[in-house]
Amino acid sequence: MSHRKTAWAILTLTVLALCLTASVPDAAAQKKGGVLKVGNLGEPPTLDAHWTTATITEVLAQHIYEGLYSLDARSQPIPMLAEGMPAVSKDGLTYTFKLRQGIKFHNGKEMTSADVVASLNRWGAQSTYGKTLYARVAEVRAVDKYTVEMKLKEKTAIVLISLAIPNNAAAIYPKEIVDKFKPAEKATEWVGTGPFKLVEWKPDRHIKMARFDDYQPRKEAASGYGGRKIAYVNELLWIPVPDAATRVAQIETGELDFADDLDLNAYERLKNSPGVQAIVAKPYYWLVAVFNKKEGLMTNQKLRQAWQAALDMEPIMKNVAGGHRELYRMDSSLAFAENAPWHTKLQGLPWNEHDRDKAKRLLREAGYKGEPIRFMTTQEYKWMYDFALLSKQQLEDAGFTIDLQVVDWATLVKRRNNSKEYDVFTTGMGNFYDPTHHIYLGPNWPGWTDDEELNRLLAELAREGDYKKRFMLWEQVTRTFYDRVPVARYGDLFGLRAMRGYVKGFDATLMRPRFHNVWLDK
Amino acid sequence: MLVVVTVVFLLIHLIPGDPVAVILGPEANAQQIEDARRELGLDRPLHEQLLRFYARLLRGDLGRSYFLDRPVTQALWERAEPTLVLMAAALFVAVLIGVPSGIVAGAYQGSWWDRGLMTLALLGVCVPGFWLSLNFIYLFSVRLGWLPVAGYASVFQDPVAAARYMLLPAVSLGFNQSALIARIARSCMIEVLRQDYIRTARAKGLAERSVIFLHAFRNALVPVVTVIGITTAILIGGAVVTEIVFNIPGLGRLIISAILRRDYPVVQGVVLLTAAAYMLINLMVDVVYAHIDPRIRYA
Repeated sequence: MSHRKTAWAILTLTVLALCLTASVPDAAAQKKGGVLKVGNLGEPPTLDAHWTTATITEVLAQHIYEGLYSLDARSQPIPMLAEGMPAVSKDGLTYTFKLRQGIKFHNGKEMTSADVVASLNRWGAQSTYGKTLYARVAEVRAVDKYTVEMKLKEKTAIVLISLAIPNNAAAIYPKEIVDKFKPAEKATEWVGTGPFKLVEWKPDRHIKMARFDDYQPRKEAASGYGGRKIAYVNELLWIPVPDAATRVAQIETGELDFADDLDLNAYERLKNSPGVQAIVAKPYYWLVAVFNKKEGLMTNQKLRQAWQAALDMEPIMKNVAGGHRELYRMDSSLAFAENAPWHTKLQGLPWNEHDRDKAKRLLREAGYKGEPIRFMTTQEYKWMYDFALLSKQQLEDAGFTIDLQVVDWATLVKRRNNSKEYDVFTTGMGNFYDPTHHIYLGPNWPGWTDDEELNRLLAELAREGDYKKRFMLWEQVTRTFYDRVPVARYGDLFGLRAMRGYVKGFDATLMRPRFHNVWLDK
Repeated sequence: MLVVVTVVFLLIHLIPGDPVAVILGPEANAQQIEDARRELGLDRPLHEQLLRFYARLLRGDLGRSYFLDRPVTQALWERAEPTLVLMAAALFVAVLIGVPSGIVAGAYQGSWWDRGLMTLALLGVCVPGFWLSLNFIYLFSVRLGWLPVAGYASVFQDPVAAARYMLLPAVSLGFNQSALIARIARSCMIEVLRQDYIRTARAKGLAERSVIFLHAFRNALVPVVTVIGITTAILIGGAVVTEIVFNIPGLGRLIISAILRRDYPVVQGVVLLTAAAYMLINLMVDVVYAHIDPRIRYA
């Protein structure tokens, strides 16, 4: 009996040991050193995280800067430079943040509450998300060297998520830099607390970042964009390579270790290329046709509903994704499936109906007489042009007259701000981490959605603190969206990245790439 | 020059597009865009912007790039070396292929040499530069692994790496440009070889090699130098496609990205530089004429 017990114990221990060994092979294999060469599509307009919503700035800046909070793998806020979650007063109007002590900026200075207050105020004055939050903020002040207090004018549920969003982020800068560059002026000194510090920026050649040796990682395990971050590589070399075909060739030859934003048509080639790992980046964008609701034909809701009813999304998405089923997804939720807390599974929504009779009926009810609808798109983003072209064919079959206007991106982003110049334009919607951040649902973004019911629901969502109630409100928003049709939601398109086989530790589930916790095994 | 800068200023400002909307990113709202336009002075009337541009130009100031956050002169200076190196290398290849091909084809008009070389020249004119570049990359870099796909190394810091990076772009660009030089050289040779003094040289019993190289070639050279001058000027303006495909951080790539971003000061700066280079090259070509042909004298 005792022998049997001993045998079981040995067997159990062996299995446990095997499991442990199997689960941590990477931990043993992690190597420090080397230069990771990343090819991206161009230059960032700035590395000032407060200043722009440009994706490329987000990706680069998030290696240099950190905020008080970050997002975990479920897109929920987790502490980063804050010690823990804030203390919230009973009335929900005061948030008290305790800061981590001994955190150093890249210039050697210790981060204190003075830096945090100055940075948040600058972010609140310039950033898209900062402005939204600061409309509800009465004051942000330093209580002591390591404590910051935020007082609100009204109760709101968006404090933490706004501080955690990586795009146009609430990055913490040294106070001296904040004092030097007013909010409307791009900062040209880039000092943060992140695991990498900026060494050199040579436009059109490279941006070089080096490991910040005084970086103090958090103790919690890495999760999403947050948790424990370790810079294994000595240097990150970001090389702008504007031509997508060149990026593909460079990853094949090993001139690049990682390449982002690749042409979807290269998917098969990369999959079959030895030593290369193709990565499907999800989420990327859901494709969208944004209607001008301020003036012109598309102010007519019936016409927008007809557009929505006419479309057969699957062939459009398949074509845009180069025929690869793995590179797109059919989904009607306004939040991506990867953003689990806000992903809805509502049935019976009028999405992807491809009901030509219904579309024709709605066109009649709208009083539409074949007036040309100015549909603006660009060839600079091939996927935009492709889905606009395919939509035109389907819509004209249903009785629309589409005047497809192909312009360059700079023209499109200018014209879309002028309600006289278009009826519809194409773009893509990335990940929004809170329902109140979906820009196309509000009146301040091109297309100008100003619907009474949507405004009411969104205002309630901003106030309500209980997640379950918020989710129900979000479902109501989604139903109202499909009735009002402020924009036409197509399917989810995924992105394509690739890396060499020796690049280890990369979290392929992240929407935007991060290279902390990544090492080179060669 | 005044005409050039004015026309460029007006053209770039009159085409639609907004640098600020590009810089601020896709999620920026109208208020943010307006604020940034005010900050950059883009909300001022066009004539006021033009007058400010003239005033800056008189002080030798080309302005500041909206996107790159640095003076335009600095941006131009940083990109001058790659473009000049590419230009010199491509020109070398173009002359090396074009001039001998044109001479041989002209001297042996109607022969297989002539037909073969002119077919190659026709290909050089017809084949798009990007297609040739991508095929070179696929063959020599991806399949054979002999040369790097793309990039740039300074010739002053690492000449070997610089040569490896520059070989494919110089050959693909030089091949394209050599076609025009070869065709001009051929027709000039044919024309010169019909002249009386060539007949005289042959009648004197000179060797055919001496007739071609000593008597015909030098006289055929004046139009060829003109074409080489034009080619140089084109290359100074930036071999846009080559610089993009081979990821060379030169002036061609700069102007394309500046146009796409509506970075007005940079576009104006590159065009101004190109115009000045055209003038300088024309002057140099005129000087070279006088050296080649002693009959040419400038008052």
